[in-house]
Amino acid sequence: MAKRISVVVSQGPSKNPVKRKLEEDIVAALLFENGIDVTVVPNLYDIKPDSTGMLALKSISGNMIVCSWLFERAAHWVLDRNDISGQVGKILLQDAYEEEEGNEFAEEDLENAPPELKSTVVSQREITNRKIYCLDLKASTRADDFIAEAKRIQRANLVQVVSLNDVISGGAMQRLDTPTKDTAITKDGSGIEGLATSGLDIGPATVKRIENSQGRRWYPVIDYSRCTNCMECIDFCLFGVYGVDRIDTILVEQPDNCRKGCPACSRVCPENAIMFPQHKTPAIAGSAEGNASMKIDLSQLFGGPADGKSAEEIAAIERDEQLLIAGRDAVGMQGLERRHSVTTAAAPKDDLDKLLDQLDDFE
Amino acid sequence: MQHHIFMMGEFEAVFPDDRQYHRNHMWSQRRSTGEERFGFTAYAVRLLQDVYFLDWSIDAPVAITAGQEIGAIESKKAESSLYAAVSGNLTQFNESLMDDPSAINVDKYETGWLFEMDVSLPTDSTRPLDVEGYLELLIGVWEKTQRTIKGQANE
Repeated sequence: MAKRISVVVSQGPSKNPVKRKLEEDIVAALLFENGIDVTVVPNLYDIKPDSTGMLALKSISGNMIVCSWLFERAAHWVLDRNDISGQVGKILLQDAYEEEEGNEFAEEDLENAPPELKSTVVSQREITNRKIYCLDLKASTRADDFIAEAKRIQRANLVQVVSLNDVISGGAMQRLDTPTKDTAITKDGSGIEGLATSGLDIGPATVKRIENSQGRRWYPVIDYSRCTNCMECIDFCLFGVYGVDRIDTILVEQPDNCRKGCPACSRVCPENAIMFPQHKTPAIAGSAEGNASMKIDLSQLFGGPADGKSAEEIAAIERDEQLLIAGRDAVGMQGLERRHSVTTAAAPKDDLDKLLDQLDDFE
Repeated sequence: MQHHIFMMGEFEAVFPDDRQYHRNHMWSQRRSTGEERFGFTAYAVRLLQDVYFLDWSIDAPVAITAGQEIGAIESKKAESSLYAAVSGNLTQFNESLMDDPSAINVDKYETGWLFEMDVSLPTDSTRPLDVEGYLELLIGVWEKTQRTIKGQANE
């Protein structure tokens, strides 16, 4: 057996038949490909750490493609929290929204930006060789696009392996065995060269389905490539969701202590590192940029309040709501007042400001 | 029981007079248990069309206040946050909608109910309307509703 790649398809919680069909079309089309192992699991975010779904994902070794209805960042860091970690695999399949003119500039600005001076948690971590490619199923309505991207990734991985083979000796290649266990060397000793010439013809696809849905969950997900370990979240949250590990790195210690529907800590995070993947606001759900919905928002007609509050004020209100529901006393802007005046004076425009500016342009 | 009709363009939205109506386009009806059962009116369901996903952001039982955000809904054409029409104690959600919310479309006034509440005494702004009062409200909001939809659809 030569090198294969695993593709995980995470089913969304919505009954939207269009979404269901896209998931199944992708699975069906992947089965016509070679060298692909498909695993279908319930919504990645809802899977509990000790469930069969998560154990199946943990048992996958080597590079992996994960198709889910979560934003790329959200999917990556949900997996990371479950000890399924790796480098962020570069995705070329772009969201229709991001391809629009005007948004390209934002992307360029990011790439040309001076190197980040802040020390993030991930910059102090050891990174494994393994790559995890998180594909957002919202990026296209066509299964073909995802199949093409999966095949591109599969090919890219093969090419990479071959080039390694050219420059390093067999002895050195052994190092790649850890921690991914499935890098370049085939178990039966068949050569990498043979693999290269045979292209993708490395055995038919397989599929495994895990369908034990255990209900919906709600908890924060930390993006450690943004988190600076500043501890604002652990100070803000009064429900004991956050903790620190043995080397004092912040982590979501008690996810199920989190108050359903409350995204307040993500609003106070100075680095926008905290995501709630099921929140309706793309910036909170882990969108790289504002990702406008194509659907009509009826909230104002269905009794929604008019906005106009700062993120800190909204966070304080949301926290108070949860404290009152839990039978505790509201604390208002406690711990946020000073911060608020500082951030509004000095903070550069963030993604939300950009999004609002774009909305203004519509008018 | 009588049925009242409001024309949303060509569409006949039907409202039975055996229940009360709220400004956020929910109906409520007193149960024999003393609790009020809530659901979407024909007006709301027509705006939403096929409902795909319903998600509550709170767990029952829980005390809620009028105007509080309690969940979200996604349909073929639209999405919306959901808000409490009145204050009180929300005692249970209609769990059968969590796996399949389609009852909201096919049977909005009966099996498609959303949740039940012990309702607190209403204030002026949260006092429910009878069906005639609700129809008057609809005449007033129909134009704004069309503007909202057309405005967003043209973006």
